[in-house]
Amino acid sequence: MTYRDQIASALAEGFRFAGLYASAGGVVHVALNEPGGALLRESVVAHDGRVPTIVDLTAAAGWDEREAADLYGVTFDGHEPLRPLVEHDLELATWTVGVRGDDAYQVAVGPIHAGVIESGHFRFHVVGDRILHLDARLFYKHRGLERAAEKHTLEEGLAYAQRACAACAVSNSVAYAHACEQILGLRATSELARVRTVLLELERTWSHLNDIAAVCAGVGLAAGNTFFSALTERARRLNEQLTGHRFLFDSIQIGGSRLSVAAASVAAAREELASIAADSKTGWRELLFNASFQDRLPDIGVVTAGDASALGAVGPTARASGLAIDARSNAVGLAYNGLTPVAPRRAAGDVQARLEQRAVELLQTFDVLDTLLDRRIEHSAAEPAGEGRAYGLSLVESPRGATFCAVEQHGGRIERLHLRTGSYANWPVVAHAAAGNLLPDFPLINKSFELCYACADR
Amino acid sequence: MLTLLRDLRRLRHTAALPRPDRGRSLAIRHVDAGSCNGCEHELTLASSPYYDLQRFGLGLVASPRHADVLLVTGPVTSRMREPLLTAYHAMPEPRRVAALGDCALGCNLLGTHDALVGAVDEVLPVALRISGCPPRPDEIAAALLALIDQDDAP
Repeated sequence: MTYRDQIASALAEGFRFAGLYASAGGVVHVALNEPGGALLRESVVAHDGRVPTIVDLTAAAGWDEREAADLYGVTFDGHEPLRPLVEHDLELATWTVGVRGDDAYQVAVGPIHAGVIESGHFRFHVVGDRILHLDARLFYKHRGLERAAEKHTLEEGLAYAQRACAACAVSNSVAYAHACEQILGLRATSELARVRTVLLELERTWSHLNDIAAVCAGVGLAAGNTFFSALTERARRLNEQLTGHRFLFDSIQIGGSRLSVAAASVAAAREELASIAADSKTGWRELLFNASFQDRLPDIGVVTAGDASALGAVGPTARASGLAIDARSNAVGLAYNGLTPVAPRRAAGDVQARLEQRAVELLQTFDVLDTLLDRRIEHSAAEPAGEGRAYGLSLVESPRGATFCAVEQHGGRIERLHLRTGSYANWPVVAHAAAGNLLPDFPLINKSFELCYACADR
Repeated sequence: MLTLLRDLRRLRHTAALPRPDRGRSLAIRHVDAGSCNGCEHELTLASSPYYDLQRFGLGLVASPRHADVLLVTGPVTSRMREPLLTAYHAMPEPRRVAALGDCALGCNLLGTHDALVGAVDEVLPVALRISGCPPRPDEIAAALLALIDQDDAP
């Protein structure tokens, strides 16, 4: 079977696209997520720098192929036009979709935005106030982290994965650690799995609280924004009490965990989380019964289940559109014990559904934390589990969705590090969701996704 | 909604921030020159009820044309160098630049030579340096408050 046939048949069997990346020497790798959770890798060697595209088989590979073309010089036959993504070509026509017609014009926004927002450029094609099409040009914050990590030891590489993004620092670090542990032939013990799960859910706690505050800000509801900002602050203070860092930096290590928290501190954290949970429920109830707030949310920025699936949406975005996918439900090396994905009652894929998705997921997160924070946290180490291998692949559910990490090494040195975060997977979905809506609604639509630019740009 | 606001009123009394000597204000324009988003998240919370920067006369403004201070986060990436300079030149004088966070100060930068220009002071004259990875909201607030009473613009 050819490379394309293999991918087509895997997709037909229910595998999901998890990421595509190129390595030195013109090899293109595609990672596929089996329904049971395992990751499978298909590789193809480029001839004269060309490989066949798979974007017609799965639209989710669109950005990945464009990135591989820009950074590794691979041409994807059949991907027409193969527009630049990371490369900031000055010719507008090369990276925007041509829109012609009476009264059609463009609105350019960014890279610097009006608030405290990360840098990125949005080019809207509009008629009147109606958005016909949005070209998002990110990668203003491209730091070359993946390239810079090459030739470093696996241990040193952790900093590059973690510092890609503060808001996903734990998720990215755990994804990287899992990939490295496959290379080293290690498996997490139940205690290590517990600690990492606690840290992942602490990250989700502050992140989801922040996202609810952000939507309130998007609507201009100052009371809701300040209330949920205050809860975000409490969650970050709790992180600092437990790990010494408000964003949980340096709390993840490869092959073990150095975190140690006394029983009394764990109990205090559990109590504070119960209080944050109770307050967030109070706040959420107020938001539900605020008619002028609720009126702004439904039927804008709609992503249907079909579109979410075709575009490869992940995380809260996918679940709010009615796709029951969550990398936590069959995660290996973490203590989720077959967690069932949750969704709002009305999973309509609009701003309202994505906001409510955060609220219902928070309840689940508070439950997981309450269960796991029942005793002291001790140092733990991974245990040997057979032979290692040359590369590792992992998938971890970040607050923004499944984050894929690939590490290739030779002699203990990184040859290729690739991080495809939940934000990266969802950015094309944002552009899709914007079309057909009013331009003044875009900030709200964007906030309902609340994606990171930093870990998409790397 | 009133229930939410009632509890918030007492929060800001818990933040122990120094009062500026004189009643003055600074308009701040933030520019992300390539950060990991940590400094942005902390800066956002500096305006939250626990710190409430606005009550000290510190306001984040939408345009560099309204700003006294350009608050820059992140190492400057090669793609953000031009937009950063454009924002700076759009500011009225006197103007000051504050570098927020270790990356902006050039500490332990991660990335390739092609993609990064380096610390903010390689591109602009920096009047205020706020270290930390990322600095906490109260550290950001305290540093900006000290700047209010500093008369000499560079």
